[in-house]
Amino acid sequence: MTKQNENHLDLQTRRQALKNSAVGFGQLAFAAMLGNQTLNARDQVQSPLAAKPAHFPARAKRIVFLFMKGGPSHVDTFDPKPLLDRDHGKPLPFALPRVVFAAQGNLLKSPWRFRQHGESGLPVSELFPHVAKHVDDLCILRSLHGTNPAHGGALLKLHTGSDQFVRPSMGAWVVYGLGTENENLPAFVTICPTLAHGGVNNWGSAFLPAYCQGTPIGNASQPSSKAQVKDIYNQRFGTALQRRQIDLIGQLNREQLSLQTSAVESAALLGRLESYELAFRMQASMPEAQDLSQESELTHELYGVDDPITANFGRQCLMARRFLERGVRFVQVTHSDSEVQWDQHSDLYHGHAKNSAEVDKPIAGLLADLKARGMLEDTLVLWGGEFGRTPTAQGSNGRDHNPHGFTMWMAGGGVKGGMAHGATDEYGYYATEDKMHVNDLHATLLHLLGLDHERLTFQYAGRDFRLTDVAGQVAKPILA
Amino acid sequence: MTGFINWPHKPFAFVCRCFQRPFVSSSAQRRLSHSLILLLLLGPIHSVCAQKAPVSNSNASEISDQKLSDEDLQFFEKHVRPLLVDHCYECHSGNERSGGLSVESREQMIVGGDTGSALVVGQGNEGSLILQAVSYAHEHLRMPPKNRLTQQQVEILHQWVQRGAPDPRKAMELGNRPAPQTGMSLEDGKRFWSFQPLKLHTVPSAHLSGWVQSPIDAFILEKLKQQQLLPAPTADRPSLIRRVTLNLIGVPPTAEEVEQFVADQSPQSYSALVERLLASPQYGVRWGRHWLDVARYADSNGLDENLAYGNAWRYRDYVIQAFNSDKPFNRFIVEQVAGDLLPEANQETRTATGFLSLGAKVLAEPDMEKLVMDTIDEQIDSFGKSFLGLSLGCARCHDHKFDPITQRDYYALAAIFRGTRTFADERFGAIKYWHEHSFSSDTEREQLKSVDGEIAKAKQAAAGFKAEAVKKVRDSAREHAADYLMAAASLPVGASLTQVATIAKPLNLHPRILFHCRTHIDNQREAEFYQPWYRLQSQPEELGRYYRELFGRLDEALSLAQKSDPKVETLPDSALELARKERLDPAAFLAIPPQPEHAFDETTLAAYYQLMEKARLLESAAQDASGAMGVVDGTPTPEFRIHIRGSHLSLGEPVARAFPAVLRSSPVDPIFPEAGSGRMELAEWLAGTTNPLTARVIVNRVWGWHFGRPLVGTTENFGVLGETPSHPELLDWLARNFIQAGWSIKHLNRLILNSTVYQMSSAHPNSESAESIDPENRLLWKFPIHRMDAEQIRDSVLATSERMDWQIDGKSVPLRNRQFVFDHTSIDHTRYTSLRRAAYLPVIRNNLYTLFEQFDFPDPTMPTGHRHQTTVAPQSLLLMNNELVIDSAGQLAQLLISQHGQPTERLSELYLRLLARFPSDAEQEKCLRFIDESVSVGLLDSGRISPEVELQSWTLLVQALIATNDFLYVR
Repeated sequence: MTKQNENHLDLQTRRQALKNSAVGFGQLAFAAMLGNQTLNARDQVQSPLAAKPAHFPARAKRIVFLFMKGGPSHVDTFDPKPLLDRDHGKPLPFALPRVVFAAQGNLLKSPWRFRQHGESGLPVSELFPHVAKHVDDLCILRSLHGTNPAHGGALLKLHTGSDQFVRPSMGAWVVYGLGTENENLPAFVTICPTLAHGGVNNWGSAFLPAYCQGTPIGNASQPSSKAQVKDIYNQRFGTALQRRQIDLIGQLNREQLSLQTSAVESAALLGRLESYELAFRMQASMPEAQDLSQESELTHELYGVDDPITANFGRQCLMARRFLERGVRFVQVTHSDSEVQWDQHSDLYHGHAKNSAEVDKPIAGLLADLKARGMLEDTLVLWGGEFGRTPTAQGSNGRDHNPHGFTMWMAGGGVKGGMAHGATDEYGYYATEDKMHVNDLHATLLHLLGLDHERLTFQYAGRDFRLTDVAGQVAKPILA
Repeated sequence: MTGFINWPHKPFAFVCRCFQRPFVSSSAQRRLSHSLILLLLLGPIHSVCAQKAPVSNSNASEISDQKLSDEDLQFFEKHVRPLLVDHCYECHSGNERSGGLSVESREQMIVGGDTGSALVVGQGNEGSLILQAVSYAHEHLRMPPKNRLTQQQVEILHQWVQRGAPDPRKAMELGNRPAPQTGMSLEDGKRFWSFQPLKLHTVPSAHLSGWVQSPIDAFILEKLKQQQLLPAPTADRPSLIRRVTLNLIGVPPTAEEVEQFVADQSPQSYSALVERLLASPQYGVRWGRHWLDVARYADSNGLDENLAYGNAWRYRDYVIQAFNSDKPFNRFIVEQVAGDLLPEANQETRTATGFLSLGAKVLAEPDMEKLVMDTIDEQIDSFGKSFLGLSLGCARCHDHKFDPITQRDYYALAAIFRGTRTFADERFGAIKYWHEHSFSSDTEREQLKSVDGEIAKAKQAAAGFKAEAVKKVRDSAREHAADYLMAAASLPVGASLTQVATIAKPLNLHPRILFHCRTHIDNQREAEFYQPWYRLQSQPEELGRYYRELFGRLDEALSLAQKSDPKVETLPDSALELARKERLDPAAFLAIPPQPEHAFDETTLAAYYQLMEKARLLESAAQDASGAMGVVDGTPTPEFRIHIRGSHLSLGEPVARAFPAVLRSSPVDPIFPEAGSGRMELAEWLAGTTNPLTARVIVNRVWGWHFGRPLVGTTENFGVLGETPSHPELLDWLARNFIQAGWSIKHLNRLILNSTVYQMSSAHPNSESAESIDPENRLLWKFPIHRMDAEQIRDSVLATSERMDWQIDGKSVPLRNRQFVFDHTSIDHTRYTSLRRAAYLPVIRNNLYTLFEQFDFPDPTMPTGHRHQTTVAPQSLLLMNNELVIDSAGQLAQLLISQHGQPTERLSELYLRLLARFPSDAEQEKCLRFIDESVSVGLLDSGRISPEVELQSWTLLVQALIATNDFLYVR
């Protein structure tokens, strides 16, 4: 048999198979795959969004990233520095970075006290009394570094690994690697993301297939109670009428399929036909996942949905749990507000107090809820901002951006609880021990999800691309 | 890659820029991390390597057999070797030679790595890179990267170097570095297809009765015949007029145009149609947009800080006008690269240089030199991709890994751009401003002063209102100071705001102030002022009395003191002075929440927001200083130093301005004027007839814009990793013909559109057997079906429902120049409700219009000459639920109902407008049944026959038809 004939037969079987399969959310029509792989694919008719095997057994099946926009201060939250208290008002005894964002003053002690918590005795500041109760589940990463000194660059670096080029976001890479477990929902959602500082690029798929991109639910300027996926509702027609309308679209499309088109073309046309069915199903599954009224009063209380201070972020966290429960692979929850978020260049005291009051209880609620449902074991929780803040003062009572050393924490899926990993210097300016570059963070996240960051590659323009570019090392000591 | 519809990638957000270096999937990479790469991992750069790491004579003499004393040997074995093994070997021994450095022997350390010798015996930090690295003195040279050595360990290395670096280890073979991956040599490059001069091909003599109307047909037919393929017959006339109209002006033909064309069977009717469309001003709107894809056009910056490019529209209008007037493409290039330098430079040609300025920039980058170099990189990369189809950006850090482009070539171009100014001197805080050509008159400048004043006044009004309102809240809080302290005593630490509110409300206190007050007191346990509070905490009444009395005395003392001296502020009594300070301190127990929505009551908040919005609207709509984004010459840079690893902190050999060697046809080095940047010479070389790429690259794109598939699929990569052309002879023939016809795009369009190939049917009688030979239809045995792009979909929906506003030109982004699109807030003020052509909708980087985003509008940070097409469910959601679609369907339904009484007539009109044909019997039957049934369902809902029910049914039908493949695809 000639090669051409083989290809022809392949097309025939694939065309048949297409007719019996469904299209995943955000997925390309199968013709996309066919078009790409006409000459080499044999049995790729399965949806690209279908759950895929990991490279090795995964410790976490899904991930929720609690993103604190603006840059929470590590020395005021999870990385206590006694020397800051002692040397308050004195100059930093070593050199500042070559490039600083703003003029730096002298050392500024933390307005908050740290206390030891849990069996591990890890210190947490007064800003996070509720989270502190879960400290034995936290793996506190105190040596993050390597984002950019400005918000935009730092957000992009943290979310995509690059602050200079548009690259796929980490959520997109995860979806590319693992697919989803619920094809009626997006595989990657981001709840109330910020449109500033990189915006869409922070959840985009860049050169990865379009189905990998994150689906935004509202944005940071909207209360989470009003957050929705765009065009998810039809304001004019009821479901019954719309159902009939979609049936008609299907009939008319089928009418045209009989024309003499090529296999690649008709597969694409079929793909579009299927995508209406999926969109119709999503119209129901998305609001259902977002419907918090199905949750008990106790649960609302647990997340602080009942209190005005915590309600907004509490709703986001509770929604996140519902998405995770329904098989969504990557959920990002952004804490933001209409002013400067965690970006306390001045009045650190009030800004951080306000921010932590808004997130502390909801985060603790999410941790408790995941645990109670047995989900914490295979759900990775990641907390942090795009950088930390300087131990030196900006103005009289603020702190500047610090990408040279800061804290994030993880909990659940595959990480040791009650441990601190890495360290900054004695004032908290630079990461010094077991330094964890953003690339290392990404490598570790992927590892926990069962993906080898060096093998999770995508070829584009003749080159294999990775989330971690040419770097990245898994932080092995934190693996449970 | 498929020529057809689906391609599983989103439009590329960027094209390969190797950035640090090409990806090598080896475990070695794991250990290479971050900024170190910048300095230490110098890759294969022949020009640099040639003069790299000069091993000085004195140093070389150290590479000889040493006689080691026992003491030295012991010192090495006890202290140095374990240190090197534990902390350095992982990346600098065996095959792992990060930055080209091995520390396995003294000799290897002396020879060093890519940034030079790591060890200069006998010297301290200043001589030995290894000592500098472990001292962590330089931000970009810190070793080991993850865990800094202890002071003691650093000291050991110092001592070792002082001792003369005694080392018993045998030098490894020095020459066995892994061979660097290099691109093609210059000689091989000259032989690569795209770098060869345009060839003169004779038109093939392939024959098929009546089929070959132009040389294009002959080239295509020749290839088909070689594969025993026969071309599809000519398309039916309805398909043809719909295809060519959508292609040239971006909307379907009107019902009248269809009927007229179908009725007119004369031989000239088709070419007359082509001429009519080419002459339409809407042609430039459609075809100019193609170039705007290539030029990565946008109305905002949107990489890090999203500022409005409020004057970018002048460049957009320039492009659209250039296509309408058929500006010769070589002139079009010169204007975009050097329009400011032309002897006859004017507003139009200066506006054209916006091409170089429109890219996305990291505007808040605090390192100005990095910002300038990153911007130059963006310019070189865009310039290379747009005009030459080359990824020149890959050579920023190292020689191109695949193409015959060296880092030398890159910095020779960078010198030209370094002598060019893209930034202005002004800035706003951390945000740098880009340069604009000013077209302002004195009168305008005067006007703008008053406009700016108005805006400032409106902003001041909002700010003043806010300050006043905060003062009211603060005064009221101070009046109730004792009540707050008393109420706080009945609250546990960490009480929820709901709990706090139940206490606060009856006392007329502000819940959030009280909430904070409680936290503050907890935080200030040791502070003197709060000691009474803690003492009396369990007796709130008592506590309240205490503080009321205290503040009472304070007020008395204050007013007394002020009687004698109205300016007095402090009190001599220390207890009273403390109370005064605490009550006054805006950060103490009476702090006001900084967020207006937390501080103010609803009425105040609404009034404040109204003032803010008034100021914002005033600014958004305010006149801009007339001007255009663009570049000018700066300080000429005749030569420029190579940036090792692309870092401006690590400079190498200087190179003189030049054009990439592989593209030069003359062996003579170009001579640049001393006084200028050299951009004019660059532009003229680019647009010259001997450049092998310029014409090929544009002709290829134009082909793709007609057929939905270019001859070279990788429109921005004609290099080694790009595709080879499906029809190389045709490509060269078209390129030569294009130049001969004076670089006329309209001529090229005419040529292609009048070919038989373009007029083929999209159906083939033997499609199954044809696709068994050529499944992707690369050889064009039929016309490729392709989906309308985002603009065609939107504009077609508006045009067919007669909602379109056909106005051409003028600013359309609803933001003032340099206004924030998004600052810290995420409020999206940009609206896409304008009914003008889609080419005039705002292009906001980072937050594209949903319809654009969903239907594969290209990422406006990257030159894109060929859009990819995806099918994703959100597209369906949009077509099902988006207002634009439903409103337009409603409008068209209304038109159908008012113009035709009979459902069959309405349906025919609908099909003609949307699909340029009449419905088949089967379609008619289905549609009419749908109307009947929808009316009944509607009746059930509303309970009576009404025009609304009928309108709704027809709206549903129109919308359904818009959602069909038949509408969305071009056949």
